[in-house]
Amino acid sequence: MLTFMTKQDFHKPTTVEDAVTLLKEAGEDARPISGGATLVALMNARLVQPSRLVSLSAIEELTQCTHQPDGSVRIGAMRRHRQTAFESDLKAAHQVVSGAASQIANPPVRNMGTIGGSISFADPAADYPPSLVAANAEIEIAGPEGRRCIPAEDFFLGWYETALEPGEIVTAVILPPVPASSIGQYEKLCRIAGDFALASIAMTIDFDASNTVSTLRLAVGGCGGGPVRVEAAEDALIGTKLETDAIAAAAELLVAELDPVDDVRGSAEYRLKVVPRLLQRAFNNLINIREPAQ
Amino acid sequence: MSQPVTLTVNGKANEVSCGATTTLLTVLRDTLALTGSKRGCNQGVCGACTVLVDGAPMRACLTLAVNTEGQSITTIEGLPEGGDLKPIQQAIIDSDAVQCGFCTSGMILTAHEFLQRNSNPSIDDIRTALSGNICRCSGYRKIVDAVALAASRGGA
Repeated sequence: MLTFMTKQDFHKPTTVEDAVTLLKEAGEDARPISGGATLVALMNARLVQPSRLVSLSAIEELTQCTHQPDGSVRIGAMRRHRQTAFESDLKAAHQVVSGAASQIANPPVRNMGTIGGSISFADPAADYPPSLVAANAEIEIAGPEGRRCIPAEDFFLGWYETALEPGEIVTAVILPPVPASSIGQYEKLCRIAGDFALASIAMTIDFDASNTVSTLRLAVGGCGGGPVRVEAAEDALIGTKLETDAIAAAAELLVAELDPVDDVRGSAEYRLKVVPRLLQRAFNNLINIREPAQ
Repeated sequence: MSQPVTLTVNGKANEVSCGATTTLLTVLRDTLALTGSKRGCNQGVCGACTVLVDGAPMRACLTLAVNTEGQSITTIEGLPEGGDLKPIQQAIIDSDAVQCGFCTSGMILTAHEFLQRNSNPSIDDIRTALSGNICRCSGYRKIVDAVALAASRGGA
């Protein structure tokens, strides 16, 4: 029998398991769709022509953000950027994630875009990737084999590439418990309001009683294929009181590991010059958070 | 594959037939002849297609029509109530804040929702709120003035 394959079909399942099955059935050209901010733009530009669209918007569990008893926070993949930007459950170091969300694009796009969609696309200049690495987040993934969790650091493989296997979708981002005294900071440099980052710095930090840095995680965005974390730069700051020369030494270690490209937003050379200044600015603003002007 | 979809636009239910990848903007303009929503970049960048979905400004060009079933969509045509312009619309007129007009409906819908949340915004707040709407006549100053005027009149 001759069957006319219709171009595309659309499904709106209510469970993650049904979504995964629908994606598996249709094979490689099927795409999950969350907010549409990325996928529909790619379809409009005719860069992607999915055979099947599986909307994730009717799956209740993906739309929830829950504070777990152990202090971790589970952000469902369908949470919109605007919701995450104003999320009251995100406190202390978790604010590196709400800070990033509040700086994505512009208000209408923040109403649409989701955390799951954004990180699945993994634009190297996007705001969530460095913030999730700095927050030591875990990415929860569902696929035909069930669910698994991997650290954000292992999720972003570079240049729009993630650890997602065919048929898998992101279901949640899990932020580990953090001390109430910790701070999360996201510092972004862009040409115009709403643009992707020319360069960005995400950090989570805590201090001991003598005001010395006790823990620090730092990630750079927009300066390579994915978020860059340099442990040597973190080690150069842990145990210091963030003296100017300590920050300069850390910036040098950081810059040595960056591999930015020239693009429309700026040259590689410019980015390497800007990152140390952005790092200094991030720490300056940190002081304002810790010691608000009276 | 076309499928029947019921879209609630400006308070009225419309039965339309659309494909899996048909955007809300295409249905509004080409099927429902509501051409106040403009197709600029078709990439979600320019803001000319902005409509309210359940009261929140969104890009019609990045919204799949089939995915908006059950939601309430407001376009510029549906903003006036009983023929009366909203305060932001009147303020746009009073401030002469229209040049070519292509960005105007998106600007108005974005500003309307913003003013409902912020009755006393600073100029910086207004500029940030409108940062996702591009005016290529670069008539921003009068548009910002108009939003401030609407706020000073206590309206949205």
